[in-house]
Amino acid sequence: MKKLFAVLLSVMLLASLLPMAMAEGQEPITVTVFRGDPGDQPTEDNKIYKKIEDELGIKFEIEFLAGNLDETLGLKIADDVYPDLFDGGNSAETLENAEVLIDLLPYITEEKTPNLYKHIYTNDRIKQLTTDDGKLYIIPNYGINYNAQIQNYCNGPAFFIQKQVIAWNNYQVPKTLNEYFDLIERFLAANPTTPDGTPYQGFAILCEGWRHFCLINPVQHLMGRPNDGEVLIDVNDPGFHTETFIDKPYAKAYYAKLNEEYHKGLISKDTFVMNYDQYIAALSNGTVLGMFDQTWDFGTATASLETSGMYANTYLALPLVYDPEYVDGKVIEEHYLNGTVMNKDRGFGISTSCKYPERMVQLMETLLSDEWQKTLQWGFEGEDYSVENGRMLMTREQYVNRSDAKWQRANQAKAIWESMPKKQGTMDDGNAWDPGNQPEIYFEQMSDYDKEFYAACGVKKPADFFNAPIELAPYGEAWQIDKAPIDIDYNDFLAIQDRWLPTIITCDPAELDANWDAFVAEITPSATVYTDFMQAEVLKLVEQALN
Amino acid sequence: MSTVTKVQKPTITPKKKKGFFQSLGKQWQLMIMSVPMLLYVLLFNYGPLWGWLTAFQDYQPKKGLAGSAWVGLDNFRFLFGREDFRLAIRNTLAMSVINLVLGTVSAVLLAVLLNEVRNRTFKRTVQTVTYLPHFLSMVIVVSMAQNIFASNGPINQMLLSLGLVKDPVFFLGKGEYFWWLVGVINVWKEVGWNTIIYIAAMTSIDPCLYEAASIDGAGRFQRILHVTLPGIKSTFMVLLIMNIGHLMEAGFEIQYLLRSGLTMKYSDTIDVFALIYSFGSSKPHYSYGTAAGMFKSIVGIILLFGANKIAQALDEDTLI
Repeated sequence: MKKLFAVLLSVMLLASLLPMAMAEGQEPITVTVFRGDPGDQPTEDNKIYKKIEDELGIKFEIEFLAGNLDETLGLKIADDVYPDLFDGGNSAETLENAEVLIDLLPYITEEKTPNLYKHIYTNDRIKQLTTDDGKLYIIPNYGINYNAQIQNYCNGPAFFIQKQVIAWNNYQVPKTLNEYFDLIERFLAANPTTPDGTPYQGFAILCEGWRHFCLINPVQHLMGRPNDGEVLIDVNDPGFHTETFIDKPYAKAYYAKLNEEYHKGLISKDTFVMNYDQYIAALSNGTVLGMFDQTWDFGTATASLETSGMYANTYLALPLVYDPEYVDGKVIEEHYLNGTVMNKDRGFGISTSCKYPERMVQLMETLLSDEWQKTLQWGFEGEDYSVENGRMLMTREQYVNRSDAKWQRANQAKAIWESMPKKQGTMDDGNAWDPGNQPEIYFEQMSDYDKEFYAACGVKKPADFFNAPIELAPYGEAWQIDKAPIDIDYNDFLAIQDRWLPTIITCDPAELDANWDAFVAEITPSATVYTDFMQAEVLKLVEQALN
Repeated sequence: MSTVTKVQKPTITPKKKKGFFQSLGKQWQLMIMSVPMLLYVLLFNYGPLWGWLTAFQDYQPKKGLAGSAWVGLDNFRFLFGREDFRLAIRNTLAMSVINLVLGTVSAVLLAVLLNEVRNRTFKRTVQTVTYLPHFLSMVIVVSMAQNIFASNGPINQMLLSLGLVKDPVFFLGKGEYFWWLVGVINVWKEVGWNTIIYIAAMTSIDPCLYEAASIDGAGRFQRILHVTLPGIKSTFMVLLIMNIGHLMEAGFEIQYLLRSGLTMKYSDTIDVFALIYSFGSSKPHYSYGTAAGMFKSIVGIILLFGANKIAQALDEDTLI
């Protein structure tokens, strides 16, 4: 018995000594994590998590969203026990309102957390990040750029056209609305069907649910502004004049043009009743020649076209503007690409249940260092990438691995990295933070068709068709403004457009004017409420940003 | 609801007055059998009625039932002040009546036809084929319908090749067609299923009646008219009364899946309306949804009792 006691005592003694051996004398802890998106659990021997555990003494226990986000958050709030690192996904406002997260500002100082301090205080970002009462609950997971922003392609809104149409047109690219539809008309006249006999559809408009931006958003871009949602804002006006554009004469021009094209057979009736799946199916078949959309919205269609080798049917993004004839002879300059918008209120917060908030902030701080960012975004040198003359490079195999879910589970700390504060843009040595943005890698991965296509167009990368991103307006992008205070009017405002715009596009040209007037008359009350609200909100944001 | 009917019916038929507890004691087995159903109804149908309180509040989940502000009838005033809610009531009733009439007529007709078929294999096959769609999810049914009724879908191709129309009919995008489209889809999905109960009722008709009718010289149509149809009348009445009670339930999935901007004025039922207003924005209005649902339930109860009263007055079989 005595012997046993002695052994036990010595084991305990040894055990108490062990943590001392850990870096900076911090005892190992297990941190509970919730992610507001579905995801895959990493493998037990994941190399990045192992490095974090070895060097920082932190092990993660990750829970991914399974089922409905709002219901899951609601249940967690009712339970009153939270994971240490809490990512509320797209409903993180719910967590802030329920006072589940702690204020991070007291933990962030220039001395103790220089990386984080620089991250949120540079360019007065802090003014936009804090709540009305001056608290910071979440550091954005995306949208904070270092050095220059690399833009190889347009991921946002644009008019799209199949590359084969451009190739058919001797690689001449349309720049205005009229040129665009004229090209599709000519192409359709020459090639009414695909080689196997399916008729082409000239122009598709997705109108389903929240994706109706394909129907209601184009006018602002044709007028030369980036995406502000449903309002057109004059950034040169000191008062930031804000107006809804859909009820203005310059919007009528676009829908009248669509009406004309509808009667020429470019637009099918069925486009107004199709759902998202049918839309993606049509795009994936390669039968749709053009549409207005946002690149990320039809990524699955692009992927399936590329997988089946139909590169000629993939899409080129075009920054179209109105022809001068539509806007009193004014020549409009396009501004589709905008400065980066911070993904405010999205990412990890630290919950009130967390017993070691200081250590969590320190974790964010450490992972934000250049070395860790390289590890998290690129992996291990020699294994996941190589360096030649200071440029970070990947072989095709290394790059393809990155999109393999099975490889990711063992070799990336995706679940943590996605919600943590991170560096984007370029490193101080000129390499891109995101390997996908590294120009050498971007071109290396491009299909042969695309390489030839862009060479024939005389550009290096798809983004060269666009003007450089303009400086982000002080209010950010107006579509981010929460419309909760006027939601009933806002819903009316949208529903009236959903109902009227397809009617206007498909009506007899003789009735177009009457229909347009009826539409404007019906939408004016809600549009007025919406305009007043947005004008006030924009001014509020501008004021916050400027002082 | 159907279970309650089955249990209660035999107990009510003798109209003689007996001591309540005396008959209760006699039927104790039946009582025990009905306990699970009773618990089910209490737990899932009466329990949630607490939530109706939120129809009179500006309900905020964070504050809970106790902390949310009471607003009296404001939510109802808001609803009835809105044109889209009044349209939703109209659409609900219109689609319900169309569903009820088309559904009942088609089910009775198919049941009578099947009842006359003598070839068992053929009868079984038809029955199976017609009731299988019942098990399909509405999502699948609607996307099939969207293909079938598309401008270049089979229906339009047929109409065009027969020369019945000059241009394709825009079935999916014309509000006026929406109610009938829903009716037709529902018939296709449910007709086989709805027949089952009528066929069951027909098998319980005494074959002697048919033989007697034949001897009296009744032909096939006369036998249907004077034996089969009267034989299923009581089933028909009970189902009709129950369906009238469900008139405010025109469905939700089919309209939600089939709607588009063009058909909005005809497609949105009270359920769709409640969903959109409850969760449609970053500031959920649970109370509007509850108020709409409560209104729907109350009208449903009134309709049910009304139909029952009328049936009683006509001296027909009734539900209660």
